[in-house]
Amino acid sequence: MNNFSISVKPGNDIVVIMPKGYVNDLGAESLEHACEKYLAKGLKKIIINFSEMQFINSIGASVFTGIVQKTLEYGGRLYFTNMKKTHCDVFEMLGIIKHVNVFKDEREALNLLKDSK
Amino acid sequence: MKGKWDLKRLIFNMSALVDLGQEVTSSKVFREKMKAALYVVTGMFSVPKAALFVNNSNRRSLELLAYKGLREIDGTDIHIKSRHIKAFNKNKPYKINEIKNKSFYENNNSAFKKLQIKTFIPLFAKDEFVGAITLGQRLSRKSYRKSEKDVLKVVANQMAITLHNSTLFKKLSNKVAENKGLYENMRHIYHDTIQAFAAAIDAKDVYTKNHSYRVARYAVAIARELRWKERDIEGIYVAGLLHDIGKIIIDKGVINKGGKLNLMEIIEIKKHPQVSYDILSKIKFPWKDVVDFVRHHHERIDGKGYPDSLVETELSDGVKILALADAFDAMTTDRPYREKLSLSEALKEVKKCLGTQFDSKISNVFFRVLQKEIKGDNKEPQILLHLDKDFDITIITTLLEGITAELSV
Repeated sequence: MNNFSISVKPGNDIVVIMPKGYVNDLGAESLEHACEKYLAKGLKKIIINFSEMQFINSIGASVFTGIVQKTLEYGGRLYFTNMKKTHCDVFEMLGIIKHVNVFKDEREALNLLKDSK
Repeated sequence: MKGKWDLKRLIFNMSALVDLGQEVTSSKVFREKMKAALYVVTGMFSVPKAALFVNNSNRRSLELLAYKGLREIDGTDIHIKSRHIKAFNKNKPYKINEIKNKSFYENNNSAFKKLQIKTFIPLFAKDEFVGAITLGQRLSRKSYRKSEKDVLKVVANQMAITLHNSTLFKKLSNKVAENKGLYENMRHIYHDTIQAFAAAIDAKDVYTKNHSYRVARYAVAIARELRWKERDIEGIYVAGLLHDIGKIIIDKGVINKGGKLNLMEIIEIKKHPQVSYDILSKIKFPWKDVVDFVRHHHERIDGKGYPDSLVETELSDGVKILALADAFDAMTTDRPYREKLSLSEALKEVKKCLGTQFDSKISNVFFRVLQKEIKGDNKEPQILLHLDKDFDITIITTLLEGITAELSV
């Protein structure tokens, strides 16, 4: 059973992606593919809202490593919001956090990104 | 503070090893399984680009099995010679600089660049070289610490064993398929030989051409209606084909004699089931009871048959089937001493001999098969196909309905 899905809110230059469920198998690749799709289209700012995301295991960590790498290659920026402590810990431990901007929630990220236009 | 992160890292690594164990033992198809295993490794060490290769010893190359984060690398193989393999330490992660001045790197320069390899791990299961993992630059751009290399070695070992088991399984599956093919060939040869024997037996009797073949077919039709297993059906088919093999010792003049046989000739003719048995009992058939069916195909329910004068309770269903099939074909074909009976006459004759020559249960099944074939309910008719088509369907249908109704009371 696939216990992972994503919902996407594309804007003009920002896309908000909300993963839902467990990022613990190859099904989570859809998140990486979605990010790459928008980066390739020229949207350089990607917000990932973690409010509905549960557990991340090593396969999930691999997916986020891939997202960071692709964002760097396309010259984009990543913004993580609504993270739980466990998510922060994993990303910090794996060195992913250094490559992203962390916000308390999606609204804060959107406000700041609008202001910074 | 450092201790806290070391502990978290340790827990993460341990849970990643559990993830790896779950992935490699999952029921996913092999490629998916190995791709997930590769993702576990890349997740553990934050490596965005990596690939997994399986060794093809025949082609002396590492063939791409799964990858992550790389573009347009399908079909990228790494060539490897046995002297390169011998030079590797088992499952050791090699920094690219450690192998850069070796001929292995030089021979695969473009592949290494395409795959953006920074670390190369040769995979060994016991002493067998089974594949390799290639890892690109880590997100942190840091080198692996000693403890991380140790973990990588453990992971490599696990993946090597999985690759090895899969290769063994593949070899075994190929061998099974090959043996199955050989068995089928042998089976065809066996059947063709038996058919040839049957044709040789029937050729001796000018009146009974294809008799053995028809008997075999009738017996199969009855056995199938009785829902016998396919293997047992094959057995009675073979018994049908070979039941008269003993006739090869009987003088042709006796077999084809037009008039009434004298006592000596009858004794001679009656030897054939025993001779058939003597010949066939030397063969170890893969089907049970073939020789028993053959020996007793002239036995009768009332014990007046030959060679052993067995009674109903001593006769197996297979014997009863073969006896009926043989007699029915004899009735419906011309013989040197009489013309064939019409279908209606033959059916009446079978009915008349129920409980004396033929078994009622088996005969009833035979009538039922014939009814089904006449109605067109059997897609592949086995009996009707060999009978004269000049019978009146209404008469035969009514006759069969009457007999089966009577037998079911």
